[in-house]
Amino acid sequence: MPSATALALALAPPALEARGLHKSYGAHQVLRGADLSVASGQLVAVVGENGAGKSTLLKALAGVLAADRGEVSRHGTLGHCPQEPVLNDSLTVEQHLRYFAAARRLPGLERGHELAGRLGYERYLGTVAGELSGGTRQKLNLTLALLHDPDVLLLDEPYQGFDWETYLRFWELAEDLRSRGRAVVVITHLVFEQERFDLLADLVDGRLVTRVANAAGTEETRHADI
Amino acid sequence: MRTSDTARSRPPFRQFPTALRFSVRDQTRNRLAGLLLALFVPAWYLLMNAMASGEVLDFRLYSTGEVLSVDGGRLTLITAGLNCVTMIAGFVVFDAVRKALAFDRRLVFAGYRQATLIGAKTLAMVVVATAVALYTALAVLVFWRPSVGGWSAVLAGFTVIALTYGALGLLLGVVVKRDLEGFFLIIMGGLMDTFLQNPLGNPLANEPLLQWFPSFGPMQFAAGGAFGDTALWGHLALGLLWASAFSAVGLTVFRIRTRSRNRAR
Repeated sequence: MPSATALALALAPPALEARGLHKSYGAHQVLRGADLSVASGQLVAVVGENGAGKSTLLKALAGVLAADRGEVSRHGTLGHCPQEPVLNDSLTVEQHLRYFAAARRLPGLERGHELAGRLGYERYLGTVAGELSGGTRQKLNLTLALLHDPDVLLLDEPYQGFDWETYLRFWELAEDLRSRGRAVVVITHLVFEQERFDLLADLVDGRLVTRVANAAGTEETRHADI
Repeated sequence: MRTSDTARSRPPFRQFPTALRFSVRDQTRNRLAGLLLALFVPAWYLLMNAMASGEVLDFRLYSTGEVLSVDGGRLTLITAGLNCVTMIAGFVVFDAVRKALAFDRRLVFAGYRQATLIGAKTLAMVVVATAVALYTALAVLVFWRPSVGGWSAVLAGFTVIALTYGALGLLLGVVVKRDLEGFFLIIMGGLMDTFLQNPLGNPLANEPLLQWFPSFGPMQFAAGGAFGDTALWGHLALGLLWASAFSAVGLTVFRIRTRSRNRAR
């Protein structure tokens, strides 16, 4: 007998849904009909070989890149953390927070300061981005995606350059987001962390093959549009 | 806190002032441009003044058909000032716009209104270009003391060419992919444009062909005011037309390159 929460989740429309995404660069077909469905409160990993098209997929899901064909639908607000930090090197960390607070029409910088604290870089609030280390730039990159507490999060290798402690803090943050019903999609290379996810989506030949993963490590293979 | 909770209250970080402040900061943190202002402008004036001083040149005012016999040193100071302004204003805006383009795109995806960002960037460019022109016009006073009206005409000419090359910098900043291409186009374009207008370096300077160059209007206005006591408003407007054209194309490309396909259902 499913619980009331599980039933509600099953009946609710997916927070993010992609159908038949196609994308080519010239003659090179990167996405050939990728389907994905992510529910609220679900943590999904997109895995695949280098050059498989994971970042292209995430950009298409985020709307940063126009797909040649296919549809993406989303319910709620979106946060996108690109693989390479997209920052302004002449602005300080604090100024980045202000700029995005203006973009998101936020009432204050509390969430930004909280995230800087949780990721352990609050002492750099007054430092210009051009003088930050690679890891701290990535922390700021991630903070900008999380600043407005979005309903759907698309994170492209969000912990690149993190030290071990920050990496663990990231997972605390991800667990927190999942427990609060956020839909989170993470591109990852790391095999050993796959048990942290609810769903693994392998990008193979431009299509997604999904596997359900649970904490016990058992996996059930399913194809595409679950 | 969720955004929906705060939709009714006025956000503390309003988009236009925030974007204006940070755009001005972006364009004024260029150390090389600061060095060029502090060292290159006076050095260029000194050199040009020493080379051309005392020589009498014929300079044609196109709106009246009048040919003025002017001190070559002073005319060349105007040319040198125009040249400095093209290079510095163009470089500052190009560098800032090109470096911030991906970030601006992210801001638009995050909800920044494109029109607000464009308005703020344009105003920042106007502020910076005007400041560069004012400094360059003040620096000329070390070498030459024209009448107040004459200096005002020089300032106006410098301001319009600064706006024109600032706008060109903006256009190149959203079009070219590498620094070198942009710098080359601005420096070579500015040099050719301004020095071809001067009969000292170009015997054909009074030919009608030069009317099609961006610095033609500002040069005519500055020289007309400084040497002929006339205000050639039409020529100043011609310079502004160049600035508007470069801005319009640059901002249109900026709009296309930062547009968001990000829509929730």
